[in-house]
Amino acid sequence: MKAWAQLAAVLALAAAAAGTTYWVKGPPQRAPRCEAAKLQADEVCLQRVMDEWQGKVLWVDARPRGDWARDGMAAALLWNLDTHENMQAFEAEVAGRMLDGSRVVVYCSNENCGVSRQVAERIKALQLGNEVYVLYGGWRALAAAKLTRNF
Amino acid sequence: MRTAFFSWLAMAGFLHAGGLVFEQELVEIHAPMDAKTVVAEFKFENKSDKPVTIAKFDKVCACISVQVSDGKLNYAPGEGGVIRATFEMGNFAGVIDKTVVLWFDGDPENKPGQVLTVRVHIPVLVVMNEKTLKWTIDSPPETRKIDITIDYSQPIKIVATTCTSENFKVEVNTLEAGKHYELLVTPASTKAPGLAIIRVETDCEIARHKVLQAFAVIRRELPPNP
Repeated sequence: MKAWAQLAAVLALAAAAAGTTYWVKGPPQRAPRCEAAKLQADEVCLQRVMDEWQGKVLWVDARPRGDWARDGMAAALLWNLDTHENMQAFEAEVAGRMLDGSRVVVYCSNENCGVSRQVAERIKALQLGNEVYVLYGGWRALAAAKLTRNF
Repeated sequence: MRTAFFSWLAMAGFLHAGGLVFEQELVEIHAPMDAKTVVAEFKFENKSDKPVTIAKFDKVCACISVQVSDGKLNYAPGEGGVIRATFEMGNFAGVIDKTVVLWFDGDPENKPGQVLTVRVHIPVLVVMNEKTLKWTIDSPPETRKIDITIDYSQPIKIVATTCTSENFKVEVNTLEAGKHYELLVTPASTKAPGLAIIRVETDCEIARHKVLQAFAVIRRELPPNP
């Protein structure tokens, strides 16, 4: 067999294997790269939460209720901005859990969703004095670290 | 060969960057105080020289419905359309951002091609100057107050208050009926930590201004924020 034919055969086999893996396992879960120097003032990297604070924070899931129930963090409270939800119930639940002074970390789907920052502002507006952060990378960062309920 | 390779790379980058151009990516709407729904329109045009397909769109909550120009998802060069997003506002008051996220053909899952934002302002008619009253453990059980003002042409009266804890006494002091009130909150004891939810009911006809919520908290002193 000529060299180019061998090359084509190898490439075809590799492509078939890669395609099968993608089809069976889905696309790769890549952790968003979090650089502390580039974070906004209210953002935090997952690594800091887990290493420096040993994960001892109050997690708040800002995604839709269905997502929170399906694959949120097991300990996370729900607070999203779905207008079908009862915002006063969210306030009361989260306020009650902030009494011990815990840091609060809010996440939404990914680094683009923006809801977590709005929810973080609402948590700060409770005026309880706790530190409130937005998780850089959101749920995607948690999933890549296998910290979500579906792992 | 090298020229051809770099030309291909340059073209690949150009094609990837191509897409629909929107007149506005952020639309601000000042909704009436009783708004139940808000509609925002985002006009766009395909200014590239290739057809563009809206592969999918996502919304941050079930309270949004999105329509794309009568369901048309493929746009030839020069063609334009409108994305119409309708938001149910529920009992929200104040400022809220809602987003619609679009992916075009070839956009990776974690990098949508376009994020559109609607910023809705809904007037707050009943304004509390404090959300939470705080006492530290073993501090004197002094009365603290929340100032409540009505920012509306018609009077809105406070008709009832409730508190979830018997440790707190809640009274309403009327400074000007229908316009200005004080909520006076006094703990019986500050020996133990605790949180009480105070609800203030008004006679406002608009549901979102009917019940307000505040908190009374007794807890240890928190360390200062870094």
